[in-house]
Amino acid sequence: MSDKKQVLLDIRNLRIEGYTGEEWVPIIKGVDLKLHRGEVMGLIGESGAGKSTIGAAAMGFARDGTRISEGSIEFDGMELTTASEAEKRALRGSRIAYVAQSAAASFNPAHKIIDQHTEAPLHYRIQKRLEAQEDAMDLYERLRLPNPKEIGFRYPHQVSGGQLQRAMTAMAMACRPDLIIFDEPTTALDVTTQIEVLAAIRDIVDQFNTAAIYITHDLAVVAQMADTIKVLLKGEEVEQAPTEEMLQSPREDYTKSLWAVRSYQRPQQSRPEGEKPVISVQHVDAAYTGGVKVLDDVSFDIYRGMTVAVVGESGSGKSTAARCITGLLPPSKGQVLSNGEPLPPNYLNRSKDQLRQVQMIYQMADTALNPKVRISEIIGRPAQFYSGLRGADLKHRVDELLDLIELDPSKFYNRYPPELSGGQKQRIGIARALAAEPSFIICDEVTSALDQLVAEGILKLLDRLQKELDLAYMFITHDLATVRAIADEVVVMQNGKVVEQGPKDEMFTPPHHPYTDLLLSSVPEMDPNWLTTLLEERGVENVGEAADV
Amino acid sequence: MSVFVIIYFACLIASSCLAAYYEKRPTFLTLFSLTLISFVLGIVGGVPALRFVATAAGLLAFAAGISFAFREFIVIIAPANISKEVRTAPLTAAFGMFVIFTYAIAGIFAPWIAPYGESEVIASAFAMPDENMLLGADQLGRDMFSRIIYGARNTVGLALLATLAAFFMGAFAGLLAATKGGWFDQFMGRFADVIMSIPSLIFALLMLSIFGPQVTVIIVAVAIIYAPRVFRLTRAVAGNVVVMDYIEAAKLRGEKTWYLIRKEILPNSTAPLIAEFGLEFCFVFLLVAGLSFLGLGIQPPTADWGSMVRENATMISFGEITPLIPAAAIALLTVAVNFVVDWMLFRSSGLKE
Amino acid sequence: MGDLLGLVAKRLGFGLLTLLVISVIIFFMVELLPGDIAQAVLGQGATEENLAALREQMGLNKPAVVRYFEWLGNALTGDFGTSIVTGERVSTIITERFINTLFLAAYAAVIAVPFAVTLGIVVALLRNTLFDRVVNVLTLTSISSPEFFLGYILILYLAVKTGMFPAISSLRPGMTFWELLDRTFLPALTLVLVVTAHMMRMTRAAIINLLASPYIEMARLKGAPPWKVIVRHALPNAWAPIINVIALNLAYLITGVVLVEVVFVYPGIGQALVDAVSKRDFPIVQSCCLIFAATFILLNLAADVAAILTNPRLRHPK
Repeated sequence: MSDKKQVLLDIRNLRIEGYTGEEWVPIIKGVDLKLHRGEVMGLIGESGAGKSTIGAAAMGFARDGTRISEGSIEFDGMELTTASEAEKRALRGSRIAYVAQSAAASFNPAHKIIDQHTEAPLHYRIQKRLEAQEDAMDLYERLRLPNPKEIGFRYPHQVSGGQLQRAMTAMAMACRPDLIIFDEPTTALDVTTQIEVLAAIRDIVDQFNTAAIYITHDLAVVAQMADTIKVLLKGEEVEQAPTEEMLQSPREDYTKSLWAVRSYQRPQQSRPEGEKPVISVQHVDAAYTGGVKVLDDVSFDIYRGMTVAVVGESGSGKSTAARCITGLLPPSKGQVLSNGEPLPPNYLNRSKDQLRQVQMIYQMADTALNPKVRISEIIGRPAQFYSGLRGADLKHRVDELLDLIELDPSKFYNRYPPELSGGQKQRIGIARALAAEPSFIICDEVTSALDQLVAEGILKLLDRLQKELDLAYMFITHDLATVRAIADEVVVMQNGKVVEQGPKDEMFTPPHHPYTDLLLSSVPEMDPNWLTTLLEERGVENVGEAADV
Repeated sequence: MSVFVIIYFACLIASSCLAAYYEKRPTFLTLFSLTLISFVLGIVGGVPALRFVATAAGLLAFAAGISFAFREFIVIIAPANISKEVRTAPLTAAFGMFVIFTYAIAGIFAPWIAPYGESEVIASAFAMPDENMLLGADQLGRDMFSRIIYGARNTVGLALLATLAAFFMGAFAGLLAATKGGWFDQFMGRFADVIMSIPSLIFALLMLSIFGPQVTVIIVAVAIIYAPRVFRLTRAVAGNVVVMDYIEAAKLRGEKTWYLIRKEILPNSTAPLIAEFGLEFCFVFLLVAGLSFLGLGIQPPTADWGSMVRENATMISFGEITPLIPAAAIALLTVAVNFVVDWMLFRSSGLKE
Repeated sequence: MGDLLGLVAKRLGFGLLTLLVISVIIFFMVELLPGDIAQAVLGQGATEENLAALREQMGLNKPAVVRYFEWLGNALTGDFGTSIVTGERVSTIITERFINTLFLAAYAAVIAVPFAVTLGIVVALLRNTLFDRVVNVLTLTSISSPEFFLGYILILYLAVKTGMFPAISSLRPGMTFWELLDRTFLPALTLVLVVTAHMMRMTRAAIINLLASPYIEMARLKGAPPWKVIVRHALPNAWAPIINVIALNLAYLITGVVLVEVVFVYPGIGQALVDAVSKRDFPIVQSCCLIFAATFILLNLAADVAAILTNPRLRHPK
């Protein structure tokens, strides 16, 4: 980034405060940001880093309950912190545009997509209606939307998520702004859909030489999109460098630790000889009320001491398979065996011992723990319920479990879940599962709601517990990095069917089933040229329709 | 120009200046616009209009003062966790709490507070107030003030009992429906819909016409009418809790329905349920008052606010304000409860907007 | 479009079913009387002959189910039987009064609905200002006051003390429309006060709820001016909640009308109902209840159907 280029956005010593109901607390603690014309800057950081807040501030916008307390935001020579609402409004949509995380919620359900698209150009009298519509169709085509002439005349709910996200990017481009803020535009999408949106966004930003701030928590994604990367932590800047440099030689320890997470991998294990599987799912079909079939002839086995990862995109049926095993959704055909014995299909008909055998750890630790119950009781209840422990024995057992999950019993025994951090809550969830002394645990996306560092800690803990207690895990996930890190065997699901299964090493070496191939190749990698190479391999033309149906 | 008018404007202008000096923008705007409006009011309505404004402002200031003092009082005597909550309560909520507290005292200690018995005839019909009778006598010559005090016990007590009955029926069914789900849930939901599609007052009148206006009938009727509303809300609140993963975990552990309700669902629904109790009480109270106004509530000679209004309504045509006092008592308590409920809802929703 | 019609038909069907169930409740609740209606009407001192005669006259000798279907069939053709007290036909007592009640309710609604909805939107836009707080306290007070309290205050100040309007809304034939409006002004105003407060608060809540949607933030970030955010982005999605609010409050009107009619001695169906209840004139009570319930259900039905019809997701299916 040479200094000869003109500075478009200059944020100096920005401080933003948020209202907690009692007092104003700092969210952004003095951040500087300099963006040149045509430059794409990636803002990355974990949740609570203040990325989105800075993104909104770049438009001179403070969300309800926040205020800009100090600093200056200069956009193309105009100071936004002191500008009037009308002056700032005149910039929005015309010179600075915004692309939100959830396109489905950010499009107004009452109007056609193209009418929302042309709103800004008509308002600013840049184009006449027909011109604006022509231009919208042209942008749709450039963003490789199917039927660009026709798609704009649909209502938002008639279009798929990936397409909507591209339509929103087109809408942001409508007035050819100087700057676009992308606020986690692909986070809500499946990996295979994400690719197309990423490619489309990158191309269009290139074509019009638009400057952009790209906000995300995904390093691999930002590596594809940005010229420069700025790393944030708790409202402060950690470091900033050009993308290549940042990826190859990060300076700060925090950045290094973020990079290092991806390298964790444990050795693969093979099935124990001559044993029956702990859980065996045999030719299971399942349907929800209304008759929609969500599982179709699903079979897989899970052996003692092993981790089987079940991967697939949303709607693939991986969580439904777990519900069939736990008995929450009795299968309409087929059965589930535990150590060779069939389990009653409905959990209501299972014995205490059968219930004890199968435990679950949930994705959202917030909703998995009752906020009004003390930690001691959350963990103690299963021990009391299944093993009949009381009094001192029970307390001893709870302490033991807390030790097992590396939390200090004296500190946590009497606390309530809302007082704990996300990682600590997830550990309590694990302890509750262990308290039942199970042989098999279902881990449902246990790390996807956590920041990467914390997630790695949880994975290592689960790995250690598995070795110590000889547990079998069923690991439901959409994240292939997690699969690589922890799985012994992999089951790939799509549309309620198992498309491929086998040991992890085999799964990650070709040849694959075409869907597995698509899934594997769609996972962004840290190499900044990954997207370009991938698109060349696939051939840009057919990228559009591959999975986005 | 009377002295009153001079003092009136002097006070307004002085306090506006003070507000401006201390940079209290909204206060200043209010006071100064009141000054300007008063010019017009004074010209159009003369001194009485200004007196009215002054009285209203005085009453408002008095209420604010009492509310503030009462809030400080609670903050000091309440245990730490409660006083922390109360400290942030708006004045309206403090006012509400104060009124509820006063009514409770009046209701509980009615026989000691009231100077005369509930149905004791002590004067001629519609006697004017004198040193013995603060508010004069009613249509049979009974002391109005004493009857209002007793009314606090009878009317509020009846409404409270009826609300409790409705609340327990509705909340229990709601929790059960949310936990059990399935056909039971469906059936109860439909059933509640049907009951709720009969307007409450109409349904009450129907039942009272059949079973006669007795206290027990009123309580049962109100319980039947309002239980579905409580059911709906409890079902919705509990419905949000039931989808939580910790409920699924407890179900998969093999816990029984009763444990689920008691240990997992109820503790997470109390805040909205308490607020709902206040809200339901307001509806029930107004319904019961309406019924007794129609002569179908608590039967004479028991003192009851609604019927007192009806019995003394003729005095209104002579420009007397006394018959409206029981009605005002009903309105004041309902407002008070609503103020407190508003605050609790605001707190439990966590809305900061 | 098929989905939409299906939904509407389903909703209509459910409304009719509800009405049927309610007619069953209204009819059979009277059957719960200790003894029977004849006994209840004539009291304990009645002779066997008198009782038998009344039973014969009211058709009580037939089984209840048969009588229910007769009653329902007749009610559908506008025949509600005869009053036990006066022997008059119920339909002649009720018809004119029903029209009077509808007039009063319509009078109040015509003032209240536009006023409340506009005020609700304005207050939602000015939320958390002093104006909002003051309106909040005022409407809360209005909601919390029994209708008869408001009614008597209006009588005291607008009729007795100043003599601007008549305190009693008796009607006589041959009144001009203007006279009619003047006569019924106070009861209508009472209803307006209560209903406006309810409706305004609900509209405010609905609009504020809507303004929190991401697409409203998006519209603001696209540079749309505030009026355009409201008119173009909020209102098209606000119709369903607003229609619901209106219907709900017209239902409040129905209940409120009973008390207001008694306060102002207005010859409406509500007063007839209250009279009949104290005289235990069951045919009139049943008919009035049925009419009130039917009106209530029809209003809700209309609101639901309107909400379905204005929902863009349902209007333009995939």
